[in-house]
This record gives sequence, C-alpha cells and structure tokens, in this order.
Amino acid sequence: MPPREPIVELTRVSKVYRQGKLEVYALRDLSLEIEAGEFTAVCGPSGSGKTTLLNVIGALDRPTSGTIRIEGQDLGEMGQRERSHLRRDRIGFVFQAYNLMPVLSAYENAEMVLSLQGVEPEVRRKQVMRVLTEVGLEGLEERRPDELSGGQQQRVAIARAIVSQPAVVLADEPTANLDSVTAIHLLDIMEKLYRERGVTFLFSTHDPRVMERARRLIRVVDGQIESDDRREDDRGAP
Amino acid sequence: MDIWKTAWRNVLRSRRRTFVTVSAMSFALWVMILYSGLVAGYLRDMEQNILDLEIGDLQVHAGDYRDDPSLYARIDDPEALMAPLRARGYRASSRLLAWGLAAGEESSAGVSFRGLDVAADADVSRIHEHVFAGSWLDPGEPHGVVIGRRLARMLGVEPGAEIVVLSQGADGATAADLFEVRGVLQSVGDATDRAGVFMTAGAFRELFVVPDGVHQIVVRRPVDAELEVAATAVAALAPGLDVQTWRDIMPTLASLLDSARGAIVAMFFIVYLAIAVLILNAMLMAVFERIRELGVLKALGVGPAGILGLMLAEAGILTAMAVVIGVALGIPTLWYLAVEGIELTGIAGMSMLGVAMDPVWRAELSLAAVFPPIGALVAIVALAVLYPSLKAAWIDPVRAIYHR
Repeated sequence: MPPREPIVELTRVSKVYRQGKLEVYALRDLSLEIEAGEFTAVCGPSGSGKTTLLNVIGALDRPTSGTIRIEGQDLGEMGQRERSHLRRDRIGFVFQAYNLMPVLSAYENAEMVLSLQGVEPEVRRKQVMRVLTEVGLEGLEERRPDELSGGQQQRVAIARAIVSQPAVVLADEPTANLDSVTAIHLLDIMEKLYRERGVTFLFSTHDPRVMERARRLIRVVDGQIESDDRREDDRGAP
Repeated sequence: MDIWKTAWRNVLRSRRRTFVTVSAMSFALWVMILYSGLVAGYLRDMEQNILDLEIGDLQVHAGDYRDDPSLYARIDDPEALMAPLRARGYRASSRLLAWGLAAGEESSAGVSFRGLDVAADADVSRIHEHVFAGSWLDPGEPHGVVIGRRLARMLGVEPGAEIVVLSQGADGATAADLFEVRGVLQSVGDATDRAGVFMTAGAFRELFVVPDGVHQIVVRRPVDAELEVAATAVAALAPGLDVQTWRDIMPTLASLLDSARGAIVAMFFIVYLAIAVLILNAMLMAVFERIRELGVLKALGVGPAGILGLMLAEAGILTAMAVVIGVALGIPTLWYLAVEGIELTGIAGMSMLGVAMDPVWRAELSLAAVFPPIGALVAIVALAVLYPSLKAAWIDPVRAIYHR
C-alpha cells in the first residue's frame, strides 16, 4: 500500500498555560500524524492534555510552540479569518455536551455548516437529509434539541460534523454523557461512517468502549504521547 | 445560517426578558412621542400667539421709531408699502401707537393705545377672536375700546363701563376723552393684559390729532416664505424704514423657543439612558447565557461579523417591536391630545416672557413629533448593544465552549 499523506500533522507542539508565575504544560513537545480514514482515540487521565490536543488540531486554540498542519496547511501562518474558514470547511466537531443550537431544529443544526459555506439550498437539503438518515434521525428533522434524547442530540451533532465532508472529525468525549446502550449505538454509527464513507475520526475519551473500537489508540500523559498502538484495520483501505 | 430567523427565535426564547425589554422600550417611546408632541404643540402655540396676537411675522416702523417711540415718528405713506406687499402675497395692516393714562371708577393706570384699521387688522392678527367679555371693535362705534384683562381688573371696569383716557396729542394739547369699554380681552400677553387699550384708527387719529401716517405696519408672510427671506423682500420694498422680524423684536423669546426645541432632544437622551442600561443589561445577559452557543458558532466557522450581525439583528427585532407598539400607542394618544388637548383653565392667564399660554394645551401630531423619538431610540439602542455585541463577536471559542 503506498504511504498516505497525513491529514493532521503535529511537530513538537507544546501548549503552556500560565497560572500566576507557574507554567503548566498541557502539551509538551508532542508530535503526531493522523492519516485519512483513521479511527483514532486519544485516551489518558484527566488533565493529561487530550482536549487541548483536539483544540489545537481544530484551530480553536493556538499552540505555544511547534507546528500544526491540516492537509498540509500550516495553522500558525493563518489569520483568524482563515482559521475560521478552515474550521468551517475542513473540520467537524462533536462535543461532549452536544452543543446544538437550541433554537434550531435537527435539520437546521445539521444544515448550518453548509449554509455558512454558501451551498445551494437544494444541494444542502439533499446532503442534510442523507446524513440525518445515515445517523438514524429520519422523521425527527423538525424537532428541536429539547425535544430529542441525549443520544439523538449527539447524532445530530455527528450529522452536523460530517455533513460537509470534512477532512477530520474531532470528537471530544462524545459518549461521556450517554448511557451504555446509547453510547454503543452512537459508536456503531460512527464506526459505520468510518467503514463505509472513510470519515476520519479523532476522539478524546475515557470510555473503554470507544478505546476498544478504535483502530489506533494514543495514550497521552502529562501532555506527551506515552503509547501509540495501531490495530489491524478489518475494513480495508478507504 | 439564516441570521434573521435565528435572531427571531432567540428573541422569542427568553420571552419574559423580551417582554420586559420591549415593554420598557415601548413605554419610553410612547412617553417620548407624547413629550415631543406636547412640547412641539406648546412651542407652536406660543410662537403662533406671538405672531397672531402680538407681533406678526414682521414689523415695519419709521427709521427712528424703535429708538425713540414718539407720536411723531411715523411712516408717512403706508399704502406705498402695503399695496406692493399685498400684490406679492403678503398680508399687512397699519397701527397707530401712543401712551397715556386711563381711569376707571376705582383707579387709573398707564396704558398703551393702539389704533387699528379694524378690517385690515383681522387679516394679520387673531386678537379680535380673543375677547373674553363684550365684543371687539366696531368701526361704526368709534368711542368703543377693548382693553386688556388685567387692566380691566385694575380699573375695576367691565364691558359697558366708561373710562377716561388722558395723554398728549400731536398738536401738543391735552388729549382726553371718554370711551366705553366694548370688550375685555382674554389673556394674550403681559403688555397687552396690563396696558392694552385698542381703539379704531379713526378714534385714535381724532384723539391724538394724527391726521396721517402710521407708527407700525404688521406684516404676515406667505406660508412658503422663510422668515429671513421675507424680511429681505420687505426691506427691499421699504427703503429708509426699519424692518424687523419677530425674532429681532423678541430675541429672548426666540432663543427660548430654540433652546426648548434643543431641550426635547436632550430629554430624549436622558429618558432613553435608562432604556440604554436596560438594553445593555438584556444583551449582556443574552451573551452570558448563550456563551457556549456563541463559542460553538465560532468553532463551526461563524466569523465575528456573523456573530455581530446576529446580536444586532436581535436588538433590531426588539427595537422594531418596541417601535411598532410605541407608535401604535403614541399616535392615537397624541391625536387625542392634539384634538382635545389638556385643559389648563386653572392656570389661565399665565404667561411666559410676556406671552400668554393658551387655556388648552394641544399637542402637535406631526412626523416631526413622532420620528425624532424613534430615531433617538434607535440611536441609543445601537450604542447600548455595541459593547455586548462586540464582546460576543470576539469571544474566544475555547473559553466559551468550556465555560461553566
């Protein structure tokens, strides 16, 4: 198999927070590559730097030092506007607390990114309906978040994250607020998207069920990669 | 993202806050529309009283009359000015003026005699409509006079009573005669109330031995002529005569009216300041309550301009609702106050800087009374929402998303 270009490339990335005179390293000299079509979980104890890692990859936060490239583009060279466009066009986000817009329906939440991209309404409608069906929300399109269960809300969040076919979906503890059955169902959906559509997922998680399903498990401790284990991919190349 | 749809839903989301905010804004707008209309009506009536009852738009005197108001300082040929003025759409009437004494049964007082061309004066003045008791002058009854209200009280006379007038005629001899009080005026202004004695021009000429000429020509301009333009036009027709606008004659009052109009604007901002604080608070609450949502919007790629637009759209919707309600309440109320007015009979006779207040205070229902309060509200809301909107627009997405 020819070597694939990494979608995400971190080189000696550090993130330092200052608490008074104290410097706290959330990430310390961390290097990492994520290739297209990977199903990767980042695990580690609380405060180990998992969320910070996702935030700097997602162009939500800037590292103190080091280089981050998304599809070859150096985030350090981007201004606010370019980073905003990168997040809109190439990165999908799934948050632990779902973070849907409460005043918008499931359909409108899923549609938002395409709308921001200026995609034609007819194309938007087709894409949104397709992803809502893929995550099992057909018939619930008009419901607002407060009319959906936690699992359904997280499925809307996944639909919102994948609808524009981003380079990578960053999911911060996506199952943390869900019961076991719902969490497993959600993992089934994400795994199916990974297997059938080649969606690249990068999770941060404490959840052993997510770790079990991951094809690559990166363990982060004190802002550094302690281990990086790959498992055989049974789905074949994307 | 459809900003207006999202903004509308956000506005409806916090119904209680929206209700309180819109109610306060509507109430303030309603109050300001009424205030603006009432003050504008008051100033309009006051100005109208000055023009209609006392001065007219312009006055023409002989060159030295205003410095030395003498019986002899007259405009020799008033028709030479009034005829071309009338031909140009102006209205004009001449008056004769003198000072002296009047005595009733109980007392006497210094008075100001005014001899009028009764028919022509009705064209430039509405004073003949302001008779409180009795009736206005009749050219057929030259020995009838109409006097000011306070003067009547001072002299202790009523219509039908006789007064003796005493002065000096143009021939140097004593001018004295007996007149019947035909009417007593309503309050029209300090000078007239305390000392005004109106008589026909014929009676004046006979009493003061003034066979020709006049002391004053009162001019009313055409509706579409600006005051200063009219003054220039009249001056061009009156070489050697002194042409003054009412603003020149009563500068203190003119300046008071100007500053009162400015005070309306100042009042808008004072009253709306409270509304600005309310809006600021409401929008800040909206930002803090939705800080995570705003962070997520930024994470998803909504730029600062998009967030700013959303916040401004929400404020715009609140303001639009307040404007609709405020105007819907304000215009009928203003209409009622313009038609019915507020009864001020209890303070009838009051005057400001010598100009009488009408017994009924009527508001002015006009675009000028309604639009400035709306404009001021929009301006103050725009200022008040700027800080919370900018705060929202530049929010740090990481801090916002993980805000607890």
